[in-house]
Amino acid sequence: MILVNYIACIILIVLGFYVILTKKNILKIIIGMGLVDYGINLLIISIGFNPGGTAPIFTFSELRPESFFVDPVPQALTLTSIVIGACVTAMALSLVIKIKEKYGTLDADKVRRLNG
Amino acid sequence: MQHYPILSIVTLFLGAFLTVIFGSKNETVRKFIALVASSISLILVLMLIKPVMIENNVIQYWMGNWRPIHDWAIGIGLEVDSLGLFFGIIAVVTIFLSIVFSFRYTEKDSETDKYYVLFLMLSGSVLGLVFTGDLFNMFVMIEIMTFAAVGLTAFRNYQEGALEAALKYLVLGSIGSSLVLAGTITIYSQVHTLNMAQISALLFNNLTPSTLFAFALLLAGYSLKAFVVPFHPAAPDAYMSAPSSISMAFSGMVNKAGVYAIIRLVYVLYHAMSFKSIQLLLIIIGTITMFVGVTMALAQNDFKRLLAFHSISQIGYVITAVGVSTALGLTAGLYHALNHTLFKGLLFLTAGAVFYATGTTDLNKLGGLAKKMPQTAAVFLIGAFSISGLPPFNGFVSKWLVYQATYQANLAPVTIVALLVSVMTLASFIKVAQSIFFGQMPKEFENVKEVPLSMRIPMWIMAILCVLTGIFPNFVTKYLISPAVSAALNVGKYIDIMMGNGYAEKILGKPVEIPAVDYVLAGYWNPVAWLVLFALLLLAVTIVAVAGGFNTASLPVDGDDSKYEVFFGGEANEYSHVKGNDLFWGLKYDLRHYFGFMHDAHSGIINDYALWAIFTTTIFIVYIFLLVP
Amino acid sequence: MVVLSYLFYVLVFPGLLFSTIVGLILSGIDRKVVARMQKRIGPPIIQPFYDFFKLLGKETIVPRTASRKTFLYAPVIGLLALVTVALFIPMFKFTAISTVADIIVIIYLLTIPAVALIIGGAASGSPYAGVGISREMVAIISYELPLVIVLLTIGKKVGMALNNGAITFSLSQIVNYQAQYGPMITKWSLIPAAIALLLIIPIKVGSVPFDIAEAETEICEGPLVEYSGVPLAIFKLNHAIKMFIMTSLFVTLFLSGKGTGILIVDILLQVILSAIVVIVSISTLKAITARLKVEQVLKFFWTYPTALALLSLILVWMGF
Repeated sequence: MILVNYIACIILIVLGFYVILTKKNILKIIIGMGLVDYGINLLIISIGFNPGGTAPIFTFSELRPESFFVDPVPQALTLTSIVIGACVTAMALSLVIKIKEKYGTLDADKVRRLNG
Repeated sequence: MQHYPILSIVTLFLGAFLTVIFGSKNETVRKFIALVASSISLILVLMLIKPVMIENNVIQYWMGNWRPIHDWAIGIGLEVDSLGLFFGIIAVVTIFLSIVFSFRYTEKDSETDKYYVLFLMLSGSVLGLVFTGDLFNMFVMIEIMTFAAVGLTAFRNYQEGALEAALKYLVLGSIGSSLVLAGTITIYSQVHTLNMAQISALLFNNLTPSTLFAFALLLAGYSLKAFVVPFHPAAPDAYMSAPSSISMAFSGMVNKAGVYAIIRLVYVLYHAMSFKSIQLLLIIIGTITMFVGVTMALAQNDFKRLLAFHSISQIGYVITAVGVSTALGLTAGLYHALNHTLFKGLLFLTAGAVFYATGTTDLNKLGGLAKKMPQTAAVFLIGAFSISGLPPFNGFVSKWLVYQATYQANLAPVTIVALLVSVMTLASFIKVAQSIFFGQMPKEFENVKEVPLSMRIPMWIMAILCVLTGIFPNFVTKYLISPAVSAALNVGKYIDIMMGNGYAEKILGKPVEIPAVDYVLAGYWNPVAWLVLFALLLLAVTIVAVAGGFNTASLPVDGDDSKYEVFFGGEANEYSHVKGNDLFWGLKYDLRHYFGFMHDAHSGIINDYALWAIFTTTIFIVYIFLLVP
Repeated sequence: MVVLSYLFYVLVFPGLLFSTIVGLILSGIDRKVVARMQKRIGPPIIQPFYDFFKLLGKETIVPRTASRKTFLYAPVIGLLALVTVALFIPMFKFTAISTVADIIVIIYLLTIPAVALIIGGAASGSPYAGVGISREMVAIISYELPLVIVLLTIGKKVGMALNNGAITFSLSQIVNYQAQYGPMITKWSLIPAAIALLLIIPIKVGSVPFDIAEAETEICEGPLVEYSGVPLAIFKLNHAIKMFIMTSLFVTLFLSGKGTGILIVDILLQVILSAIVVIVSISTLKAITARLKVEQVLKFFWTYPTALALLSLILVWMGF
């Protein structure tokens, strides 16, 4: 059911934002960012989905007007987006390690030397 | 010629790649690679001026030769029109000067190979962003940009706050990227293409609730990348902790990439400027941005943080002028974007020079450096006068255009705010001038030297460009600004390249004529004024000569003749410097509630900043659903 | 020929020489009138000339902490900006530079002398100057807001009559408007703006009660404390010229019109009207008030003159 996908991805995104806004632990904030990412990835995949379509693997000679397949573009987009998301998470985690070393805490309320 | 855009982007990415392989051991090799890559890119982009800006072509390039089939784009294309090229020129100039500056500037840092790798990636992604013709590619480039920018922010991780700033930038930046991605695919779900020209053609007069939703998401996401208030709080932290050459790149091109994306979005993709409500939205956020930015800057005690808030404030001018959406308004906006790159880059470089020479940028610790670093002080004054909009520097021209545009559009309150902001800008640079370059010098800076030549050259180039764009506005508008304005207002050309000739005229109607900007109005931009100016300068030199300016007899001698001491109430002289904190007491006192509120609002807590961003996005969505038909 | 005429404009009339003489005379008149108001005899009207020439003969001392070049060039830059403004302000039908002069250019050019004073003071390295420039900047922020609103109001008023509702920032159009419809001061909706501008003139020239930046009794003339000899003379001259320029601007904005058509008479009229404005706005206030505190200045200018100017702006936008 495609509707379930949309509901699920909206729930994921909202949960992600909820975590970013309310959790004070920086690690959890990064998990929240991940959740938003996954929600959006699910959204992209769902947009390209055609119920009953086949995999979009054709050569030009095989392509017929009646051939029915899922949209390949969103799948490519999702791959890119997943890769980017993984990079961002890795970057964020490496920063978190350094912050823990330097500040001795992961509490967002205490990591605020730059303010005002 | 049609390969120039892709080559200019690929050179930079290739440079990053080669630096990883060959540059990790040898300092000279990585400098050489960075210099060659950035200068090739600079030359290639400058060679595009003739075909794109003057002959008014749109250059198209299909990556991997995936040409469109049945007029339907299937591959990723680059489309360089004059709007994109305008921002491209801004970017390459910034890249080149910043690279030259960083050669000596980073000499005390270890592992500068990472610096150059990230910097070249940042440069390549900004160039890719402004040249691409594909909406998803724009997202990818903006992600690479954020990623490299975060890495560079944390580059000096031993510095106070650098890690924290990087984390804030990363969290806020990825919220922005998520919004952009969500917006992009929502558009895709409606029109089933990612090519911007096609989207532009398909969305004309065809706005569904889904596309409006996508518009709100994209606008919020790109505003976050441009650091518009209230998406801004990561910016001052990042600009402050990054090395100065990087801060220059941030305010010179990363910021501008966001502005470019907003212009592309509202003018080209959505043709949204015909809606009064969208104009109003941009004008409101622009005005708030410039006011909040400048008042926050007044309260800062760190040179670079102060500059960062000014970056925000000046972007406010750009967004406001873009929101006015007349040809004059857009000219003002783009001109100010160009000028902002020049003078803010210059000011960040002077901040870097001060840091290089003294090891700090704290306004309360420095003082009297003009005697030790006369050239830095001179270019600082040029930059400060430019950003404050004093004639004949470039800030004056673009601010003048902003005032004209807003007042002609019956937006008197905006004009008044803009003029007030301009004065406050002046005030905060007076503060910097007094507390860093003038006043008395603390003992520990006795041995400070002027920065080396390779750092002074980029500063002087920027300073000269500031003056040139100030006194030749006619040429700048004719060859750079007007084509870009025309590209933003006449989308037809951009669409035609993709969809075939004559397609756009059917749906869009006749192209808009771009009226030439009449600088005669500004009073003194005529040839005769040159003569007057020359006479005045001659007069100045004469008067100074008469006053004993070239007379060595009035030089203070090193003896202890007390007449060369500063007056100190009749007492013996002792060190007393009026520092940044001590200035503007009356202003701070009268507005203490406002300043206190703003200080508390910038709490430094990531959750608060994320809340601002998400809340504002919600407001954008609601506003656009309620007020755009 | 063109070259010579422009050199004449810059150096003699209405540039350097003319504005020097008129400025110094006006400042003499001001001193005399204030003295008479306070039942003193006062100096002769040409006393400022004596002061000026005396200072020119004195030794120039550059303090050890000063940044020499900035210190010496600052007063000259201020003087140049003032001379440039003098070229732009029309006197009835006469303008030196025939192209359209623009109010915003004038606002910014008039900021330059103040900035020159600030930079010069900062370059001297004196702590008194440091306090002085801080106050000067607060003063600039204070008066800029009402000043801008006053000028925009006039631009709108003129634009509505001459430009089909589009605004104008052009001074010569403002003069044209007054030639057609009578002086601006006779329009009742602009009287609040005129009062606001009359209040702005004293702070712009830095006279009591708004002379917080140069407060002699507190901070020893602030930015000027280290100046001596020729640079000080030029700063004093700047002060005098600023007085002439501001009052002349007031005359052009509010009291101008057709004039008599004879150049000499027009200029004399302009000078006499300027002198009257000096007496009304500068001398009277100087004679009857004492210096305000720093924070009072900002509060004062952001309330009363701003409110008056806004009132005018709103009235003009409503079409009165």
